[in-house]
Amino acid sequence: MGTESGAVEQSEWPGPLPARRERALVREAQGGSRSALAALYAAHWRRAHRAAYLIVHDAAVAEDVAQDAFLAAVGALDRFDRRRPFAPWLHRIVANRAIDWARREALRRRVDGAGEREQLARPPEGLGEDVMEALAELPAEQRAAIVLRYLLDYTPGEIAGMLDLPRGTVNSRLRRALDRLGTQLEAER
Amino acid sequence: MNEARLRSLLREAPIPVSEDSERRGLEVLEAALAEREPRRAPVTSPRRLALALAVAALLGALLLSPAGAAVRDWVDDVLTTAPRPGPGLAKIPGGGRLLVQSRSGPWVVQADGSRRLLGNFEEATWSPRGLYVAAASGRTLTALKPDGTPRWSLSAAAPVSDPRWSPSGYRIAYRSGGGLRVTDANGTRDRLIDPAIAPVAPAWSPLGLSQLAYVGADGSLRFADGESRRMIERARALPGIKRLEWAGETLLEASATALQLRSISVSKLAQGIEVGPPRGLPLPAGATVRDATLSPDGEKVASVLGVRGRLGPRGLVVVFDDGGGGRRLFNAPGRLSEVAWAPHGGRLLIAWPSTDQWLFLPTGRGEGRSVSEVSAAFAPGARVASFPRIEGWCCSGWIGQRG
Repeated sequence: MGTESGAVEQSEWPGPLPARRERALVREAQGGSRSALAALYAAHWRRAHRAAYLIVHDAAVAEDVAQDAFLAAVGALDRFDRRRPFAPWLHRIVANRAIDWARREALRRRVDGAGEREQLARPPEGLGEDVMEALAELPAEQRAAIVLRYLLDYTPGEIAGMLDLPRGTVNSRLRRALDRLGTQLEAER
Repeated sequence: MNEARLRSLLREAPIPVSEDSERRGLEVLEAALAEREPRRAPVTSPRRLALALAVAALLGALLLSPAGAAVRDWVDDVLTTAPRPGPGLAKIPGGGRLLVQSRSGPWVVQADGSRRLLGNFEEATWSPRGLYVAAASGRTLTALKPDGTPRWSLSAAAPVSDPRWSPSGYRIAYRSGGGLRVTDANGTRDRLIDPAIAPVAPAWSPLGLSQLAYVGADGSLRFADGESRRMIERARALPGIKRLEWAGETLLEASATALQLRSISVSKLAQGIEVGPPRGLPLPAGATVRDATLSPDGEKVASVLGVRGRLGPRGLVVVFDDGGGGRRLFNAPGRLSEVAWAPHGGRLLIAWPSTDQWLFLPTGRGEGRSVSEVSAAFAPGARVASFPRIEGWCCSGWIGQRG
């Protein structure tokens, strides 16, 4: 059923697919193979969903963003260059759509006043709760930079390419975000 | 605390996720893959190109010649006679499952023709992947499994009608007390979207997070967000509108005498909507619209029209493409009442109450099938049986196989 919520996803982190295997799966998916698509999805969904959640801090929207990114990827499968890795392509879509949504939501809150979303946005209690709350306080652009750098392990140069930004801008966003997270991180020490 | 600790926290901190979200996402994705146009190999051989051109020229000459007129007519009107009636419903041609509303309540018909009465409900609708049915009865909205097991019920202040499950599976819209309401698909967070709307079923965006279209009490076409309740866009609806559908990037409006389409452009994350100008579909003079519905991809409209023939009323099935060009698929004496697309398009189910039959017609070439004695099939033991209403034809074959 649609919104049986309450489950909490935790501590899963499948390793990346070998490049050759991934290229083969993309080729088969381009040919319409459902099993290849399912394998790609299984390898990438949780990472994409977690990245989306850490940027938007809304469970339902994170699912939609991740799903939307996969749908966009499937829609563009025929144009995908198999020599390139699949993950950065997908993560680029996830990050940009999540940022777009977060910006829009921030604007809506300014116009409408804080409402239902704030209640939904409260992170679950548990490991790293303080950090999650601190992350939620950052601007969406900084959250995205942190997520791409420290969750998905992209270099600042790669992040710059994914977000269409100068590398210096990415570095400064990372620096500012780490500074703002510092209080919580220090407090945990 | 260092960067390694931050990495670890980001990877391991618990985040909320609904139980079925991963599986649901994969189902949507697989459906999208199935609907994708297969990649076509480029024609590289000059000989093949020349051959294709020659065949095209020959066909063109044939169609333009007097003798070719007969061929053209045949192409225009694929079926002029009904398929020979078969016995009762033993199997659904093309697969999938049907939701059928009889006087005694909604029935689920499985692909093998077996059927089950769900209970005493006045109308029903499929969830997007056919895992559930939302049914309305009096002031109650109920979600139940296709085997009839109820999951939850919601009591409204006024009679409930026209439930519509959103394509995401997360929400159900329905009319009640003259207004439009939306509930989460687990029966919680029921909210009022608009207090005064026209008696037309709402239509969810096939792409968006939570946008839906409906007709306001003032006859305006409205687009609202079913989550934030925000009004997004407004336009003038087709006068006398009775049916609204949204599939692909197309919105269909139908009245008793007219059909029109609009292109709808949705910015999913920005939650903005651009509504294109209406484009009327050409109908035969004097025709009445009995029913019309968009194909699953939103690129075709199947319509059932009533026309006056020399020997009495006739039913006409016309399929329009996205450009507005119409193609007569079938015509028959008497009254045709409803039309439904097969889940993957390519086949139509036509209700023909005058002969107590359902017709399963391919929209291209292929053999049509007819099922007779439809009324009795959904009124076991009754002396007088009324012809049932088709509520929906669901879903992709691979989902149906999962039950």
